[in-house]
Amino acid sequence: MKLELRGITKRFGSMTANSNVNLVVKPGEIHCLLGENGAGKSTLMNILYGMLTPDEGQILIDDAVVTIRDPKDAVAHGIGMVHQHFMLIPVFDVADNVILGSEPVKPWPVIDYKTAVTNLLSLAEQYGFEIDPRATVENLPIGTQQRVEILKALSHDASILILDEPTAVLTPQETDAFMVILRSLKESGKSIIFITHKLREVLEIADVITVMRLGEIVGNTTPSETDERGLATMMVGREVNLVVDKMPSTPGDVVLQVKDLFVEDERGLTSVKGISFDVRAGEILAVAGVQGNGQTELVEALTGMRRPSSGDVILNNVNLHGEAVRKFLDAGIGHVPEDRQRFGLVLSLSISDNLVLDQLDDSKFHNRFGRNLKAIKLNGEQLRKEFDIRSQSSDEPVGALSGGNQQKVVMARELSRELKILICSQPTRGLDVGSIEFMHRQIVAIRDSGVAVIIVSSELDEVVALGDRIAVMFDGAIQGIVPPSTSREDLGLLMAGARSREVSA
Amino acid sequence: MTTSEIRPPQIGRIMHFALRARQANMFLVLLFSLLIGLVFGGFLIILTTPALMSSWGHFFSHPGATISSSWNTVWFAYEQLFQGALVNFHSLRSLIDSPSKTNLANVLAPLSGTLTYATPLIVAGLGLAVGFRSSLFNIGGQGQVIVGGVLALLVSISFNLPPFFQVSLEIIAAVVGGALVAGLAGVLKAYTGAHEVIVTMMTNYTMVLILGYLLITSVFARPGVHDGASKAIEVSGQLPYFLSHLNSALLLNFGFPIAFAMVLVVQWFFNRSKTGFQLLMVGQNPDAARVAGISSRRSIIICMALSGALLGLAGMLKITGVDHLATPNFGGSYGFDAITVALLGRNKPWGVFFGAIFFGVMFTGGAAMQAFTPTNIQFSLSQVIQAVVVFCVATPALVIEAFRLRDGASLVSTNGSGGWV
Repeated sequence: MKLELRGITKRFGSMTANSNVNLVVKPGEIHCLLGENGAGKSTLMNILYGMLTPDEGQILIDDAVVTIRDPKDAVAHGIGMVHQHFMLIPVFDVADNVILGSEPVKPWPVIDYKTAVTNLLSLAEQYGFEIDPRATVENLPIGTQQRVEILKALSHDASILILDEPTAVLTPQETDAFMVILRSLKESGKSIIFITHKLREVLEIADVITVMRLGEIVGNTTPSETDERGLATMMVGREVNLVVDKMPSTPGDVVLQVKDLFVEDERGLTSVKGISFDVRAGEILAVAGVQGNGQTELVEALTGMRRPSSGDVILNNVNLHGEAVRKFLDAGIGHVPEDRQRFGLVLSLSISDNLVLDQLDDSKFHNRFGRNLKAIKLNGEQLRKEFDIRSQSSDEPVGALSGGNQQKVVMARELSRELKILICSQPTRGLDVGSIEFMHRQIVAIRDSGVAVIIVSSELDEVVALGDRIAVMFDGAIQGIVPPSTSREDLGLLMAGARSREVSA
Repeated sequence: MTTSEIRPPQIGRIMHFALRARQANMFLVLLFSLLIGLVFGGFLIILTTPALMSSWGHFFSHPGATISSSWNTVWFAYEQLFQGALVNFHSLRSLIDSPSKTNLANVLAPLSGTLTYATPLIVAGLGLAVGFRSSLFNIGGQGQVIVGGVLALLVSISFNLPPFFQVSLEIIAAVVGGALVAGLAGVLKAYTGAHEVIVTMMTNYTMVLILGYLLITSVFARPGVHDGASKAIEVSGQLPYFLSHLNSALLLNFGFPIAFAMVLVVQWFFNRSKTGFQLLMVGQNPDAARVAGISSRRSIIICMALSGALLGLAGMLKITGVDHLATPNFGGSYGFDAITVALLGRNKPWGVFFGAIFFGVMFTGGAAMQAFTPTNIQFSLSQVIQAVVVFCVATPALVIEAFRLRDGASLVSTNGSGGWV
């Protein structure tokens, strides 16, 4: 099936999210759509999938103009979409999830599970998936859940699949398996629109690459014609430094000691199982691992958010075990939380207010009438310039900013305190290339100023680029602390639970 | 991101102003809500006036007369409501013609009544707003008003100090009492997770019953009288009137400047104080507040205590400024009216101030309307109008849609009460 988008324009108020976008996807083609956040990729795909109506332009399928009013129309025209956040019901089994919304019934209204399972199995076999139709979705690994989503789209006879950042949640091994699936889909004649940030994957799998910037298509290319640097330049519109510039670290004294730390999650399950490590001044310890292996709870314990069930967190020879969050902050721990919108910011408050959220006690933000609004505003304007936070003024609510700029607010706030150690959890999640570059420069700069840094990230590229030492977590334990020169394959194995053979540093 | 590239087409200055005017803001929403309330009330007046209804029966023979008589009736009723609550044009005219103390007193009389009624409601509404801004729903206004009132009465009965000290002591007692009762609910929520709605609602019942008991004890009851009313507050313990030298019927008392001061204090508290900012943070995003090292327990307790302190003060202002004695019904519906006032004012101090005055207008104006319209249009009509207005203000989206205002997204997010209101 050939898909063509012709002259698509979509405006939201005075902002143009898509401007005269033309795109042709040929049958059996893997078409990568690349662009920064806010470049208009999602808007375009939402238009294609019927969730938004374009202001101008046409959608053509096999050279005939079609109207897509809602996702139902899209499915009827053979368009399937796998969203970044899965639309599965965790407590249902695989077959239930696949048939949901189009259940085979015989006799009405009894659901014909037998046919459902048979259909599912034959579909899975056709594309070489291994799947148990009776497994409950919540017990499946993320990679398998994604296959369920893909199967669901295929079961509606989709001939074009839109995959929205499908690899963001996968381990390196799962990503490899995913690439195999993509190729088998392609061989069977499906067209695939693959949205991603990850340049490496694009170069590996794409037939055609379309790059979007500021709502417009800036160019088409193929992997043989370009490289990572070329793609990044197209995306951002200027030269981007992909490799983090950093000198070898010069570690100083031990700043943070973690001794035999056990932490329980809110369900009472032990999710950090006896972790010990040291972090020195002027070095970056990167904690790698697939999400959900205890990193969240580890960070919560290190920042006082969660009281460990046992073990010590010692900062500059002071044991902080069981102290309040305030004590952790006052002791010089900077915290850039994983979910910035939920834990890092108050979205309805202004940028300047958010820049002093954890510094309300600081005397420079007070005068005899209470909070010194002038000083707070001045501080906001200053940090806004220093960190290049893009907004009209520092009075704007933080909720109006893009993800990258919100993260800059959090980072700016933490770095404006006196820090001994900075703990960043997923510091660049969901950010575009330009913002990632900026964040990485800031993190290296704070390291070079003699602050200890812990980075927790599920992005292997980030861990390797930033870490002076890499601690790999699996199932609540540290599998090994290895140098960043370790091969990606070995890191992948550690992330999947293998024990490190040699533990250096 | 592309805003700088795509500019809206150039438009004339007048057009621009018209567009700006249609931009939904709170003022427009309030204006249109009031309009809806008055139109709705107008229909009710026509429906409930038999003479008008029968004239509508002959609409096709005298369409002009039917419409004009209906219009005149409704207009006259609203005129009475307005003049009875804010300013009477006849007395204003007399004052301009012959300035005298008596005429001045006549001009001020309606407003005096309105503000007197509004005074405790302003403070009670502020108390509720303090809670809402931090996502705490203090439904125990009634009980806390009772505590404040009873403690003020107790002070008045037990001591005989010079007026200034007597009143100050009453204020302290009422504020502390209200803070303790509500603070208890805060402590329970902070340490055991008991929901503040349940706890404060229960304290309402408790306080009503305790009040009923106290009124028959020898401390509060008048010797030999069993009508349920307590001993009166001595003159030294009453809030002095400040217009009574013009006319003894002007009941506006020093409670009003106190309430006014409280508006400024609460305004300062949220805008400038550290604690106020923390409460706001906890209300808007408790998770981020925790990351920033703010103890949510402390915030909950402080917030409930402050809310209760203001409600206690409201009770004190009511008993020492308006009622001068307690009856079993003393708390009345104050706690609940205050919720509505806070909602009407969108939890902003000045909003609460004018919200309470609006309630005062509908109260005194409604009474005037019943008294001065030939068919005695019922007082409850003013309460119906009030209810419709509150309903519209509570659902700005409805008003914005009905009047095709341009959507102001900020309206939806300004209330900050965590979905409770």
